[in-house]
Amino acid sequence: MLHEFSYIEPGSLSELLEFLAKYGPESAVFSGGTDLLISIRAGLEKPVYVVDLKKVPELQELNFGSKSGLSIGAAVNVNRVVEHEAVQSHYRILEIAGRELATFQLRNRATVIGNIVTASPCGDMSSPLLCLDAEVELLSASGSRSMLLKEFITGVKKTQIKPEEIVSKITVPTTFMDAAGGYEKLKRIKGHDLGVVAVTMIKTKKTMRVAVSSAAPTPVLLPDFVLDTPVAEIQKVAQAAISPIDDVRCTKEYRRFMVDIYIRRLLEEVQHERGAA
Amino acid sequence: MKSVKVTINGRLYEREVAEHKTLLRFLRDDLGLTGTKEGCGAGECGACMIIMNGVSVNSCMVLAAEANGAEIETVEGVGTNDELSALQDSFHRHHAVQCGFCTPGMIMTATDLLRRTPHPSREEIKDGIEGNFCRCTGYEQIIEAIEDVAGTEDSHA
Amino acid sequence: MLEDTPAAELKQVGQETLRIDSKIKVTGQAEYVSDMEMSGMLHARVKTSPFARAKIRSIDTSKAEALSGVRAVVIGTELDYKLGLYVVDKDILAKTEVRHYGEAVAAVAADTLEIAEKAVGLIEVDYEELTPVLHPLEAIKEDAPRVHPDLGNYSYMEAAFSPQPGTNIANITRLRKGDIEKGFEESEWIVEREYTNPSVQHVPMETHVAIVQWGHDNKITIWSSAQSPFTVRNLFCNAFKLPHGNVRVIVPYVGGGFGGKAGVGIEPLVAVLSKKAGGRPVKLTATREQEFSLLPCRSQLTYRIKTGVSTEGKILAQEMIMYWDSGAYADYAVNVTRASGYSAGGPYEIPNAKVDSYTIYTNKPYGTAYRGFGHVEFFWGLERHMDLISEIVGQDPLEFRKLNALKPGSITLTGEKITENHGSVSKCLDAVANSIGYGTLTEKEKAREKKTGMKIGKAVASLHKAPAMPSFTATTVVVKMNEDGTVIANLSLIDYGQGTYTSIAQIIAERLRCPAEKVKVAFETDTDRDPYDWQTVASKGLILSGNAAILAADDLLEKAYADAAQVLRANTRDLDHDGDKIFVKHHKESFVTFKQLAIGYAYPNGNAIGGQLIGVGRYIAQGLSNLDKETGQGLPALDWTYGAHGMIIEINEETGEYNVLKVTSSYDVGKVINPDAVRGQSIGGMVQGLGTATCEGYIYDERGRLLNPSFTDNKIPTARDIPLEIETIPIETPQLDGPYGARGVAEHSMIGVAAALGNAIQHATGARLMHMPLRYEDVWRALQNKEPVDNWITKSPYGSCRSTPEL
Repeated sequence: MLHEFSYIEPGSLSELLEFLAKYGPESAVFSGGTDLLISIRAGLEKPVYVVDLKKVPELQELNFGSKSGLSIGAAVNVNRVVEHEAVQSHYRILEIAGRELATFQLRNRATVIGNIVTASPCGDMSSPLLCLDAEVELLSASGSRSMLLKEFITGVKKTQIKPEEIVSKITVPTTFMDAAGGYEKLKRIKGHDLGVVAVTMIKTKKTMRVAVSSAAPTPVLLPDFVLDTPVAEIQKVAQAAISPIDDVRCTKEYRRFMVDIYIRRLLEEVQHERGAA
Repeated sequence: MKSVKVTINGRLYEREVAEHKTLLRFLRDDLGLTGTKEGCGAGECGACMIIMNGVSVNSCMVLAAEANGAEIETVEGVGTNDELSALQDSFHRHHAVQCGFCTPGMIMTATDLLRRTPHPSREEIKDGIEGNFCRCTGYEQIIEAIEDVAGTEDSHA
Repeated sequence: MLEDTPAAELKQVGQETLRIDSKIKVTGQAEYVSDMEMSGMLHARVKTSPFARAKIRSIDTSKAEALSGVRAVVIGTELDYKLGLYVVDKDILAKTEVRHYGEAVAAVAADTLEIAEKAVGLIEVDYEELTPVLHPLEAIKEDAPRVHPDLGNYSYMEAAFSPQPGTNIANITRLRKGDIEKGFEESEWIVEREYTNPSVQHVPMETHVAIVQWGHDNKITIWSSAQSPFTVRNLFCNAFKLPHGNVRVIVPYVGGGFGGKAGVGIEPLVAVLSKKAGGRPVKLTATREQEFSLLPCRSQLTYRIKTGVSTEGKILAQEMIMYWDSGAYADYAVNVTRASGYSAGGPYEIPNAKVDSYTIYTNKPYGTAYRGFGHVEFFWGLERHMDLISEIVGQDPLEFRKLNALKPGSITLTGEKITENHGSVSKCLDAVANSIGYGTLTEKEKAREKKTGMKIGKAVASLHKAPAMPSFTATTVVVKMNEDGTVIANLSLIDYGQGTYTSIAQIIAERLRCPAEKVKVAFETDTDRDPYDWQTVASKGLILSGNAAILAADDLLEKAYADAAQVLRANTRDLDHDGDKIFVKHHKESFVTFKQLAIGYAYPNGNAIGGQLIGVGRYIAQGLSNLDKETGQGLPALDWTYGAHGMIIEINEETGEYNVLKVTSSYDVGKVINPDAVRGQSIGGMVQGLGTATCEGYIYDERGRLLNPSFTDNKIPTARDIPLEIETIPIETPQLDGPYGARGVAEHSMIGVAAALGNAIQHATGARLMHMPLRYEDVWRALQNKEPVDNWITKSPYGSCRSTPEL
């Protein structure tokens, strides 16, 4: 059961931003609701207004251009991204990680941007998007600003977003287009589960990137690695960068152990795809 | 309160609905369509699965107010009162039902799955229904029932 | 057997028969209590304790009462009722002290769920948090805080249980057989190990829900998602000191139970709300989170086994100590202790045995019945122990088991002599071993190992279980004929998914020689109208109610024959029947149809005889006795169902990750009544067993707060978690007093799964696992010889990764 709130359904961007300019602090922005409604049900959030983004046409946009890269609107659900032709051919890591997010039915609701804005250390979309140098666009009635995803997420469930702002879109540049890549996620069952610890790796002709989630307050993007960096070196850098905890899901010891395993597996995996980039 | 006009199983409903009400509770409490079940209320178990505008969603994760203008299918609209759908009949024939509480959600998920993928492999069926918990059957007879309809059954039956 | 139909002549029993309840369930038309609305119905919510142990200094309900739409608020101190199945130790709401996290301290009934929820938030409870006692091995110490300082004043069922006043011990079950010291002295090897498992949740898909109307003149109606309507009535009447006729319990379709709904649950709380609200019906549905901590769970167990083995590999002596964590209340946990106590040795011949089985109160959610009734938990230890012994004595685990298995002539722990008719664990072991290709890897499997880099392991585990029930357990079935010659059967055994009603329909149809479709077994049981049944537990449903159904059908036939004898002017001994009619054996054209007799036979001239054809079948367990409190000797078991699981797994030796490739289950079910239903119980229980084996368990912090009361952090198996291949092999050694020879099999399917998994992992890797569940990390730690994670009472900070709020 949910506590009482008002449901606001702006039909345009300006209407939405004006509303948030006025009522931002009492509002929760809503699209898929797969995190928000759970938080409200649990009493963790008590917004006066729940503001639905889905009727704002711009926020439903999902575009790809060979120069501009991929742009994902705030109301675009994960399945649309996963099933998008350009994603499948040019940003495969997003498809691979996206399919690991919850269940098919929840992916019909959950949005990529929601997964980012929630800023959970275990979000499935954040570490691949970090690897791809994704940039978020923040919009408010008074203007827009953009920043790298890396800078946007600041802590456990903390971001740079202000109450009057929304993340209107996330853009993925062409820098890492067609990179080979993989995503390894430790789950407690074989069915849907959040990542107990997860590693993303992508590889282009020049460079390799690794990001680790559920192993620190925020997903961690490691510094770039040159091709043929020995696995032990990547593992060493990763171990120094993460700070996993013991919790009900796992011990930090096993999290650290599996990060090393996943790095080794992913390296083998992307090496097989050497020609791909 | 919000005015909501929604088509459910081909019939139009017009109601005033509390804005914080989930679609699940709207279906059950306001419309008396109790075939759709609540197992957790948190999007984890799939007992509340429905098809909204052609896609399967957990109705506990949807607000009733959002459904304004939507086309919704629930278990009550699958098959007719005289004839089960092929899937329902297959669940019946394969003993894919025990306590029955997950069954409506499972039927909706499988209905959607077979529309998207008419001939799913066993693995595709497992992936497709992983969001629907069943504590009784161990899933095997459910998978067999879906395979039967999809014409992809192996030697298990 | 009450009937003597040769197997070859059976037309219904043993035949594939579709479930009688699946059509109404696939259409969503089956009505569960959670779907019900009554006119004038109020909605309830419960205030629960955020502490494991605390004094309640005061509760201020004034703000809640002042809220518009609130119709009743109740707190513990205004209620003077004590609840309990075997030990009467539980208040409806905590009074001056809370004993577990999630315990109910106040409740509200209001016009809407939202108002009730808001009112609960307005209730202010002033607690003084006390240091809880959380682990049974701590709680059993002399200086441990007492969970129930008044234990000595509680009433309890004295024939079976022994609470120890002045301690936290709710029950001790003792068993002594032979000369244990001598047995150990003669042993070549002595192997002693300790095994544990955490508490787990049943997870019925429908959470506990009840609607209660406390009407005028203390006439009470209860609609409940319950397994045992007559037990709800009985315990309810005991608590409220009401005549049984005052209370009517109605149970419609039930969304799963698995033991969690076996006794009385939230009904008394809902009743007092209704009473206080002036008799309006009140509905309370447990949230999924409350299902984990307000409602009971399966008990945690620490099991120590010390076994002496001869040079030849025969078990000579075994000492077994069980520490069961009852949680805050005794509920079924004391009987779990008792049943596990007399079954503790498994299906093996142990000449010299000693069992001490303790139920220990702690400040945790309380333990209750759960599919297997203790056997899943202790068979984890016992069947791991058998493989660990085999390794030490250098025998093959399968051969070691078969060498020591009970066989005709063996004497069980309680002194029962095994006969040819008891069923055979060895046959089950052979069946599963054969099915998994035990002892070797096929070429295909070897190729798979090479390809995946994983090791394949194969192992077996055996199991047994008898119904745990009072010696005088009874049930009744009534069969009534309709005007058209079809029949309706009424019984109060509840079919909450097992499929028993379909089997009962088959049995009645078999006796009446009609198609099963002509028999309706009525869902929705009503204690005002339906005959008695003790409880739907213990896998005793088919055996007792099946027998009662045979007797009921035969009783109906006896009346029909008497009426027909008059109509046909024949001796009843000269009559026979088919599905439609009763006829004279030697003049088949001389007959009368059931339809003509159904509600009384009328002659052409208007004279009438007979009346409705109705049959009553009463059945009570035969020959059972109470167990001696010091030696545990006696006859507790109506029937033993033996079984075995065989499992093939593949495992990554470096990380502990594994896949279950195949599980075969075999049970000596006596007689398969419905093949698909047996298969359904077999697979369903096996996958539930995999859940308990691989991922489930309650995790507490050091203050006793449950950290994972939801599906976010308490996973259960999904469709992706089932084995790649599943096989079920029923064995049929008829049970002489079972209906058509049948035994129960509902719980057994879950019992040996965890141990089979642990054994298969040991076979593949040598890992010596002794603690359930077997998460990848647990396996990894065992492979690395690291200390096991004991995070069941974790030192992790409260709130880390916690996905649900504080209560």
